[in-house]
Amino acid sequence: MISLHRRASPAYICLPLVIICVVITFNLLKQTLPDVSQGAFDFSVGLSGPEAKAMSTAVFQFSVLPRMTIALLVGAALGLAGVLMQQVLRNPIASPTTLGVASGAQLGLLLATLFAPRLLAFGSEWVALAGGVISLLIVFSLSWHRRLAPVAVVLAGLVVNLYIGALSTVLILFHQEEFRGLMIWAAGSLAQNSWSDTLHLLPRLVVVAILAGLMARPLGLLELDESSASSLGISVRKLRLMVLGLSVFITASAVSLVGIVGFVGLAAPVIVKLMGARTLAQRLLWAPVFGGLLLLTTDLFLLQYSAQLPSMVPTGAMTGLLGAPLLLWLIPRLSLKSTAPSTSKTTLQTARKPTSRMFLWLLVLLTTASILALFVTQSIGGWVFNGTGQWESIVTWRIPRVLAAAGAGVLLALAGATIQRMTGNPMASPEVLGISSGTAIGLIVTIYSSANVTAPLLILAGATSAVITLAVLILLNRRTGFQSERLLLTGIAIAALFEPLRSIFLANGDPRIQQVIAWMSGSTYYVDFSTGLSALIFAVMMVALIPLVTRWLDLLPLGRNVALGLGLSVDRVRLILLALVAILTAFATLIVGPLSFAGLLAPHVARMLGFSKALPHLVGSAIVGALLMISADWLGRQVLFPQEIPAGLVAALLGGAYFMWGLRRY
Amino acid sequence: MTSAMYNNNQLRLWSLKNTSHANRLFGYMALKVCTAKCHGSNFSAMLVFLDNLLLSVRYFGHPQARVRGFLLLPFFFLTFVSLNVDASVSIPSHSQNETPRVAAIDWTLVETLMSLGIVPVAAAQIRDYQAWVVEPSLPEQVVDIGLRAQPNRELAASLNLDLVLTSPLYGAIEPTLSQIASVQTLTTYNPENDFWQNLVETTRRVGELTNHSAEAEAVIEHHPRQIDQMKEKIATDTPPLLVVQFIDDRHVRAYGKGSLYDMVINRLGLQNAWKGETNMWGYTTVGIEELITEGYLVIVDPVPMSAEGVFDNNRLWQALPAVRHDRVLSLPAVWSFGALPSAVRFADELYQALTDQHATELGLKNL
Repeated sequence: MISLHRRASPAYICLPLVIICVVITFNLLKQTLPDVSQGAFDFSVGLSGPEAKAMSTAVFQFSVLPRMTIALLVGAALGLAGVLMQQVLRNPIASPTTLGVASGAQLGLLLATLFAPRLLAFGSEWVALAGGVISLLIVFSLSWHRRLAPVAVVLAGLVVNLYIGALSTVLILFHQEEFRGLMIWAAGSLAQNSWSDTLHLLPRLVVVAILAGLMARPLGLLELDESSASSLGISVRKLRLMVLGLSVFITASAVSLVGIVGFVGLAAPVIVKLMGARTLAQRLLWAPVFGGLLLLTTDLFLLQYSAQLPSMVPTGAMTGLLGAPLLLWLIPRLSLKSTAPSTSKTTLQTARKPTSRMFLWLLVLLTTASILALFVTQSIGGWVFNGTGQWESIVTWRIPRVLAAAGAGVLLALAGATIQRMTGNPMASPEVLGISSGTAIGLIVTIYSSANVTAPLLILAGATSAVITLAVLILLNRRTGFQSERLLLTGIAIAALFEPLRSIFLANGDPRIQQVIAWMSGSTYYVDFSTGLSALIFAVMMVALIPLVTRWLDLLPLGRNVALGLGLSVDRVRLILLALVAILTAFATLIVGPLSFAGLLAPHVARMLGFSKALPHLVGSAIVGALLMISADWLGRQVLFPQEIPAGLVAALLGGAYFMWGLRRY
Repeated sequence: MTSAMYNNNQLRLWSLKNTSHANRLFGYMALKVCTAKCHGSNFSAMLVFLDNLLLSVRYFGHPQARVRGFLLLPFFFLTFVSLNVDASVSIPSHSQNETPRVAAIDWTLVETLMSLGIVPVAAAQIRDYQAWVVEPSLPEQVVDIGLRAQPNRELAASLNLDLVLTSPLYGAIEPTLSQIASVQTLTTYNPENDFWQNLVETTRRVGELTNHSAEAEAVIEHHPRQIDQMKEKIATDTPPLLVVQFIDDRHVRAYGKGSLYDMVINRLGLQNAWKGETNMWGYTTVGIEELITEGYLVIVDPVPMSAEGVFDNNRLWQALPAVRHDRVLSLPAVWSFGALPSAVRFADELYQALTDQHATELGLKNL
């Protein structure tokens, strides 16, 4: 990490925030309490006399004041949690959101609302805590083999976030009306109407802060490496567990009250560190202060100007939107220790099985899946095999979907295999690089801003935003020579931008949302025959072009120096491959949405099946990708018949689960 | 020819003996299929087709004939396709005066159909319809065709529909649905026109499309009259109403201009207290501190479980003028995006609640 000025202090950045807060608060006071000054406008329109005064006082006392307090407290809680997580994991980008704790808590509450509402009456905090702990455990188990190296942890967090996002989307898709309230919560609305939330959070925050203060000294020693810390008499493991437990607890408490507040937990510790809080004790003090002020300022601004906004923008989503660019700015300034020694081993496993027989088996499976998808279905009377009478229905409804699913699967798999070989990281994929999310952002904005949404418009918007995302990726990574870990972090930041946008849309309860979710979750539903056919033809063309890049992809996993030594101009090759990946991803995202794990999963499975050289690996990935998407499309049509789960979501659920299971070994 | 057709065993024997006559054999097979189809049922055609299949398997098993048999595969495939394509061209058409077989995607249109006495063949998300629209309840035989945004087209196609009704909200599915039946998109929520007029137009259009124009006119006549009757009985000095639905313990939806509730309130000669901005569907999401009205606060069910605590021990809630003056009315669930029946039901519930409230207030005064 760098610090901007040697003599700087976080006070320099906190003070302006305080001043802004005071100014806006005074302004608000003028509005709510006409007695303070003769404001032109007050909340109590149409009332007069003592009644108006009583109401204004009540609004101020039970809505405005608690809202400001809770903003401070939540910001402080998240700031504190962020400092603790970053310290324990020695990871500059750890935070409740990047580690998946917040989204785990959200999924817990979503499930409880649907299946066990009584549990919420008992205490939503504990439901949120359970969800947060479970997702954190998953993240740790995914990154354990790499000794919780910062990038590994954050990547695992991203995968868990994506997976939870897919699960939540399925739930929301089928229970739109029931989740009206939860959607607002998920976007992090700070609206208050009593002091109960404050009284709930304050004691917990105080206790956690005191405990953290007590552990500050041993925690500070964690900055040394593990062995020296334990030689100083600290039980490192116990300490880590306790501190992590504390930070997850305080996160869950805050999240269960006001919902997901993005990025304060990440931004506060990082910014105070940049502003000169170098020791842990300083950061423990300043990060909560700054976090609280940051959230309060954002909230006050929203409170002040919400009337001018066309739709409700919850504060949590707003900080998320502000935080993503911060992360993008931060990434080039992070000093990342090289943490990828094990990757080349995994990408260059020697083949164990004769690959030709494997190809045969894969093709047999692919054929079986296609036949299943084309001829077997559920109807009102139960399962049927439509050999004959349903030919027209097969041609009109099923063939386009199977073609499109196969095409998208192939494209994503090729993109994923290329990225994985290029970065030497088995966790890389178009989803992780943020190209899928970037495309989805473009689609959301288009659907929301145009009255008449047509397919060509969406294709244009999707392609444009994929190119923009790619440009951002290239611009931010050009100087560092497209170093793989930075590339992945940039992708995470872009993906993080997508989440708050989605929340805002969901929180407004716009009836158009069902259409949007259906689009985003990657449905082959809207595909017609020509689109499906062109997707497959494009995919087959791309497969035919593989031999052109196999040499690059064989050399790149050997590492930059080896590749350079063998006469490869690494940077130029990476740029070309990146552009290729963007095109492949944009096309596929339009068909199956941003969430499918096909690009992550297919190359991985292909490698596990023994395809290690570039050519068989890419072709194998393509077949696996097609297989995955065709099966996902078919399952999605059958599982909840007559309701259809979009193929992208099914693929994400299938693929993600398998991926997490298989990932522990990498 | 006929004798050959019904004498499969002989044919089979003949084919095994005379493998060189493969062309003629397949000619027979195709002919068999066609004749069976001419005789009427697809079922018999299918039986003959299966017989052909068995025959060809036997035929392929014969080593000397394999190569020539392979050449004949495309022809065989064509037989297969022609059989199936022809078999599915049988869409019944309804005459001018019959009720068409109709499905509705949008709940507003389901409700409209029911009000005309037409039970749709299929509707989308029936379970949720029953929970949120409640009345008119759908009978058992209505087929659930899945999500409103993505109805199951194969299922819909198997129902022999004549007509599918949908709203612009689900416009993206119109092109694909129109391959199944004629699709009509009806715009009820159009902020540019008078909302009541929109509802009337929708009802009239549904009536025309389903040959139920007389019923539609009756509904259009009948419903406003009911509301007008209520209007006459409501005191003219009734204070303004603020209609809300609770989302959770901190947020409500306030219904203003462009919503069903607002339209009914105006038609009853009452005033809507919500003057703020609303979206295309006539509502906005706000905190409870903004529910300041001198008149009545109308809460439409369902109130989510998380919000129940608000009424008992929330001091801001208790400070609201409507709450302090006991002017809170609670109404049972009425679909907020409904059609004429929902409008009348809301009017009726509101009228009942206001009458009860009026009686209570009078009682208090007399004490």
